[in-house]
Amino acid sequence: MKIVIAGAGSVGYHLAKLLCIENQDITLIDKDDKVLDGVQSALDVMTVCGNACSSELLKQSMVGEADLFIAVTTSEETNLLSAILAKQKGAKTTIARVSNTDFLSSTQKAYFNQIGIDKIFCPNKLAVNEVSRLLKRASLTDIFDFENEEISVVGFTIDNNSRLVNKTIADIGKMNSRIDYRGVALLRGHKTLIPRSNTKLLKADHLYLSLTSKNLDEFLPLLGKETKPIKNVMIIGDSLLAFDTAKALQNEYSVKLILNSEAIAKQYLEELDNTLIIVGDQSSKDLLEQEGLNNMDAFIALTPNSEVNILSSLLAEGSGVYKTIAKVDNDVYTHISQNIGIDTIINKKIIAANNIFRFVRKGTVEAIATLHGVDAEIIEFQISAANKKTHCAIRDLNLPKSSIVAGVVRDGKGVIPTGEFELTTNDKLIVFALPSSINKIEEIFK
Amino acid sequence: MRSLSLKPIIRILGVIMSCVGLLMLIPTIYAIFFDMHLVPALSGTALTTVLLGAIIFKIIPGDTPNLNKRQSYLLVLFAWLTTALLGALPYMFADIGFDWSRAFFESMSGLTTTGATVIDDLTQIPNSILLWRSLTQWLGGMGIIVLTIAIFPLLGLGGVNLFSAESPGPTSIKLHPRIKETAKRLWFIYLGLTIVLTFLLFFEGMTFFNAVNHALTTIATGGFSTHNESMGFYDSPLIHYTIILFMFIAGMNYSLIFLSLKGSLKTVTKNAELKSYFRMIIVLAAIIVTVLLISSTFSVELSFRYALFHVASLMTTTGFIMTDYSIWHPFITFLFFCLLFCGASSGSTSGGIKIVRHLVFAKNTLLEYKRMLHPNAILRVRIDKELVKPSVINNVHVFLLTYLLIFFIGTTLMVIILPENSLTLLDAASLVATALGNVGPAIGGEYGPTNTFFEIPTLGKYVLGALMLIGRLEIFTVLIIFSPYFWKEN
Repeated sequence: MKIVIAGAGSVGYHLAKLLCIENQDITLIDKDDKVLDGVQSALDVMTVCGNACSSELLKQSMVGEADLFIAVTTSEETNLLSAILAKQKGAKTTIARVSNTDFLSSTQKAYFNQIGIDKIFCPNKLAVNEVSRLLKRASLTDIFDFENEEISVVGFTIDNNSRLVNKTIADIGKMNSRIDYRGVALLRGHKTLIPRSNTKLLKADHLYLSLTSKNLDEFLPLLGKETKPIKNVMIIGDSLLAFDTAKALQNEYSVKLILNSEAIAKQYLEELDNTLIIVGDQSSKDLLEQEGLNNMDAFIALTPNSEVNILSSLLAEGSGVYKTIAKVDNDVYTHISQNIGIDTIINKKIIAANNIFRFVRKGTVEAIATLHGVDAEIIEFQISAANKKTHCAIRDLNLPKSSIVAGVVRDGKGVIPTGEFELTTNDKLIVFALPSSINKIEEIFK
Repeated sequence: MRSLSLKPIIRILGVIMSCVGLLMLIPTIYAIFFDMHLVPALSGTALTTVLLGAIIFKIIPGDTPNLNKRQSYLLVLFAWLTTALLGALPYMFADIGFDWSRAFFESMSGLTTTGATVIDDLTQIPNSILLWRSLTQWLGGMGIIVLTIAIFPLLGLGGVNLFSAESPGPTSIKLHPRIKETAKRLWFIYLGLTIVLTFLLFFEGMTFFNAVNHALTTIATGGFSTHNESMGFYDSPLIHYTIILFMFIAGMNYSLIFLSLKGSLKTVTKNAELKSYFRMIIVLAAIIVTVLLISSTFSVELSFRYALFHVASLMTTTGFIMTDYSIWHPFITFLFFCLLFCGASSGSTSGGIKIVRHLVFAKNTLLEYKRMLHPNAILRVRIDKELVKPSVINNVHVFLLTYLLIFFIGTTLMVIILPENSLTLLDAASLVATALGNVGPAIGGEYGPTNTFFEIPTLGKYVLGALMLIGRLEIFTVLIIFSPYFWKEN
């Protein structure tokens, strides 16, 4: 697949890196020569230096032959304009990143579709959605919903209080026989394993299970964590993301937003009518405690600085906050943070990449998700007459060893299937796969 | 930087060994039909090499490695050394009276597409060995690493570093977003040109065996011939002009050949390096024609053909010869000596300094005068209307000076090594220039265009062999290994 990416910033680079591993043909456009030099020596991609809106430059990057054009430069205008130009030059699908959430309204979207932008996404908006989903199921660290939440893949850490310590995966079924589940991945230290039914769970393991939605509520008590509804939320950060998050949450929870800058606080004041805005040093323990850190149910750290987010989340956790979410953009920190006990991490890059990857996968893919700190993907495939897998038992699909079927959605109902489960047309299959097996699986469902 | 792990390097060397072994099967198959007595020696060498390579690959564990910069440079150097050593084996085992130094020299000269030979009489050498000689040049022309990248998926992202460590020219251009595909396209063009030339030469009257050999060595800009008289063996103007044309094409940047195949001729004809390359050949040929017409008795057509052939042959560093040009006017001899430092386009199979470096140097030097007159002006070198980065200009200067330095050091060594006579200095200088530029024939003295390098003392053969490798890998890849920074942890 030929992919042109405009903008070699963190999202652009991350996408290029992931796609590179899968042997896609990638051309990366950026204004900065030096950045491209670095990319050139690290990734197997073609680089073109210049303004992504230049018609000559787009021609040089062979946008006309591209299957996918992704505009993720820092400038919203450049993204929109270059996507339109790319479409005119013959790019099959175009995606543009925006920061203004107004563009996401359905009328605007339809208008943009008309002039050649197939998909508009806003990383902030996606991150906000993720935060609010995580707050609803606060005892889990990750939730990925498929097909209107029919099947969910949930992630959680096995801590001291958990009833699952030293139990095998099969034991979960014995504890509550009504639950259909499947263990899809186990993160132990830096390793990602695909758990089998006799895999024993250890303390500090991070387990991902797939469940049907009706079982989710019954399952949560097994975790040993009390399921506590979230009421008080503290957000730190001056960024637009912090503002968007506060705006989205303020009517559901009681929200406190802590900012460093008074000037920015005044800008936000008008729209955050239901939020308590506090100006002060975000990393000061005294200030946080004075503002009632101990009484908080959730603490969300959204400063641009990953280190501050990690440390303040740890502080909050130490003060007994039930749920902490930290924005961590640095890949290296992701592993470390999970190991030192940060409850939940959000990463704008990964969220954005999940949203875009759907377009990279071959035709039958419906949705896609990447887990934090895990080199793996959850991919949803549709079974159709074309891929000749109807009336085929899951066992006979011959899926690679480093993959597992997490669930099947049939007629809008989620099922956790066994090996004998026979597939029919229009079934949607949710598969968890390590990167090495993704191409093979794509071939199977082609 | 982490400490240097050699495991992945040795593993990939195993693969390269097997590759070379497989290539040895071609002369083996030829020998089955025509040189039966060589079959045991050749097949033994080929199979041992393949098996040994496969065993090394099998016993060293690991998967697709991402080589870091240091590993990449080491791998490229070792790949060339290994291949040169393996390439010497058929000469050793074929029982044609070679000792190690001769076999190694012949193999290195072939692989680096130099084309200097230590065989005094080619008619004494079995055809299957001649075929192997030509094949080593063909393999070295496009490069071992490029071939490995094209065929095997075992070089991960580090392939980019490897590619630039081996490819000629100050900057490498990708023909395709992925390095593997770029390498494949390069080899495809290379193979295509070779096949076209083979059939052209065959239809123009060469025997098929000679056509194949000359096509292999022309496209590689190597210059090994199957005749003692090189191209002088043939008196057909058609063959000479065909070879001239294909030497010229082989000296072009392969990305330009790729673009012209895709139909974007406009970009190709506007290319500054190609224009200079073409103009230089024409101007130099015109000068030589004039001198020849004045100073010799050749007919106009023959003068023209001689001039064009030798200019193209030396400039593309092929090194075919039609006649002994060292007996011509000394002006021409000196001009040819200068041409040993020229080289053809970057991104081609030719050796030497390459025109683009001369171009950058010349433009920057001119601008320096302008800078002196306009101290406050901002002046940058442009090639093809694009600004040349300061880092590239710096790289070019370092390259040129290092090249000269190596030439002087090499000449000093050769003057000591060569037996003393009145022409020792000229011999030493021209031998070093021709080896470093991967050209092949030297000028004047004991080792002129019609002589071979057979007489050079053993140590001299190794020195020249090393210079050839330094020239082929464009200095830096070899010298970086000897820099103190390479072996320090930080």
